[in-house]
Amino acid sequence: MDGNAWGLLLQGAWTTAWISGVSILLGVFLGLVVALLRLAKIPFLDQLLGAYISLARATPLVTLILFIFLSGPTLGINLNRSTAAIMALTLNTTAFNAEIWRSAFNNFSKEQREAAMAVGMTPWVYFRRIMLPQTVITSLPNLVNEMSFLVKGSPAIAVIGIVDLTRVTNRISAVTYDPLPPILAAGALYMAMIGLLVWGQRIAERKANRLAM
Amino acid sequence: MPEQPEVSIRNLSKSFDGIEVLRDVDLEVKSGEVVSILGSSGSGKSTLLRCINWLETPDRGEIRINGERIGLQDKTQKPMSRRELAKVRTQLGMVFQSFNLWPHLNVLRNVTEALIYVQGLKKSDAVERAMAFLHKVGMAEKAASYPATLSGGQKQRVAIARALAMQPKVMLFDEPTSALDPELVGEVLSVMKDLSSEGYTMIIVTHEMDFARNVSDQVVFLEKGIIIEKSAPEIFFHSPRSERVRRFLELDKVV
Amino acid sequence: MSNWEILWASRDVFWQGFGNTLTIFSISAVLSFLLGSLLLFSMEGVRPRLKIPLRIFIDAMRMLPFLILAYLFYYGLPSVGIRMTAWQAGVLALVLYHGAYFAEILRGSRITLSSGQEEAAIAQGFSRPTMFLRIILPQLVLRTRGVMGNQLIILLKDTAFLVIITVRELTAAANSLSSTYFIPMEAFIVVIGFYWMISLALEQGIRFLGRIGEKRGFNNA
Ligand SMILES: Nc1ncnc2c1ncn2[C@@H]1O[C@H](COP(=O)(O)OP(=O)(O)OP(=O)(O)O)[C@@H](O)[C@H]1O
Ligand SMILES: [Mg+2]
Repeated sequence: MDGNAWGLLLQGAWTTAWISGVSILLGVFLGLVVALLRLAKIPFLDQLLGAYISLARATPLVTLILFIFLSGPTLGINLNRSTAAIMALTLNTTAFNAEIWRSAFNNFSKEQREAAMAVGMTPWVYFRRIMLPQTVITSLPNLVNEMSFLVKGSPAIAVIGIVDLTRVTNRISAVTYDPLPPILAAGALYMAMIGLLVWGQRIAERKANRLAM
Repeated sequence: MPEQPEVSIRNLSKSFDGIEVLRDVDLEVKSGEVVSILGSSGSGKSTLLRCINWLETPDRGEIRINGERIGLQDKTQKPMSRRELAKVRTQLGMVFQSFNLWPHLNVLRNVTEALIYVQGLKKSDAVERAMAFLHKVGMAEKAASYPATLSGGQKQRVAIARALAMQPKVMLFDEPTSALDPELVGEVLSVMKDLSSEGYTMIIVTHEMDFARNVSDQVVFLEKGIIIEKSAPEIFFHSPRSERVRRFLELDKVV
Repeated sequence: MSNWEILWASRDVFWQGFGNTLTIFSISAVLSFLLGSLLLFSMEGVRPRLKIPLRIFIDAMRMLPFLILAYLFYYGLPSVGIRMTAWQAGVLALVLYHGAYFAEILRGSRITLSSGQEEAAIAQGFSRPTMFLRIILPQLVLRTRGVMGNQLIILLKDTAFLVIITVRELTAAANSLSSTYFIPMEAFIVVIGFYWMISLALEQGIRFLGRIGEKRGFNNA
């Protein structure tokens, strides 16, 4: 592979990175919102969110992206490719993150709540100062794990023609007629990205274990 | 011809990480004999028992079951293949302190599993034999239950039936009642007592002094991996030769 | 004709895609579970030389997107003379990829299994393969049923990637119908329904396994 090919490859890596990054940020935050809404157990909304989570967890990313990108126009919404990709990835990862947040909240000890009420904290102060900081730490390992699943699922965006790190290998081999080197190089770059997340997950786990003690 | 010992242990030594746990242990067990092994914690009792069926590999010495060497080839001194080892082991049944039942199988299948997949019995024959032994230990009614639903004493009785069903020549017991609540100890000991009167050869590591006194033919005392007393129970409990055993027995009385 | 009527008229296309997805999924699920078990068995085996390469393989799979592996087999390998159909490349990729995940799931539970049970099996004269098959593996499956179920659902979803390497599975069916009749919304709603159904059925199956597990005291999986 020549310098030109490497340039293309790095462009693909950047596309994968920024689209994944934006979806991760949105997904972590929206997951928290969905989890809190479900904890409130508002009738109807709770069932609706439950159905969304079940459905989103069962739908392949490729299928979801095609669905959003192709049916947008029939509803009169014209989405550009990147927006459709981010929407699909976010819809998917939010469902998983919501379950991670929810289980962390559910496992939170009741004693701390009583202690907080006893010193006169309002529910909001208790949530903001006691509960949330601890749940962030206990959920982080699972959240980071979900981030690496998102990156592993991100090649799905290639299906609507986005030239990400996977699809760029087709572009390169169309010129060089040798697909093997770019595919291997792309694999190595994916490993670097996901390896970084795995490493982050280990650190998060160590922190979480320290809290558990 | 003099009667050949059922189990013969000669010059057995074993160390872990350079620390000698058993040193030059000699022991002969005749057919139908019950041998109790006593000793304080860490003296090497379990290690001795586990060496007999080669769950631990001794450093030196030889062990024979009915004259047949276990662990090493008699001629070449090379380790036996897994298959040969498994074959010799079928002569030895073992009962563990922590029962070690297989939780995914019900009581009946805990007993039949090795009958079918090791001894190659037909399923119906295996079930028939298993039920007979479960009956013997008073667990026939629980044949369909899973280990998690049994009491400790019941679990241990199933474990005994599991070992007996293989029809071994010798039964090895490693503190079979130590993990049990006091009120459950009796049911297991009474099963073991029945076995001894039926003529089973048994080697038992135990802390139950009354049982050792009343049931065994030989009592062995281990101290730091050395047998320091080996005698009939009448002698062992009334006039032991060694000062150490005397102190051990005193201590037991106090408790 | 309404859009739904068009879809109903072309139901054969869906059925075919559904059948293909189910076939690919079932074959890959069975084979990757077998591969995972075999990997675990060989890793705890007597040959330490095997352990390191297997470990590297498993870790590599866990750090790669599935699609890049499918790309490697379908687009990459022909340049070294290995040619497979899209279907073969896809199934092979699914099996290797998810086999590694299954091995890792089983291994995680294996290291927490009490060694006493193993000793009891050895004392009873079980050979190592028989012990693994009859004593160890069934327990690992019961213990890890939840994670295994999730992995199966991931496998199911990964079959959809194969549309990109031109396999005619369920998502491909929706894609071709939606472009032929320009009814993307309805076509995709139908296939998403299919995926949901299979997932729910899988979850139901896991729950059934859970009942078996509970009876045996494997509550906290
Ligand atoms: N696998 C092992 N690795 C290292 N050391 C061991 C191992 N097994 C036993 N030991 C050591 O060998 C010594 C004898 O252990 P053993 O289990 O035979 O004692 P024991 O007489 O059965 O004691 P207890 O009455 O507590 O069961 C102990 O000091 C123990 O720590
Ligand atoms: Mg012991």
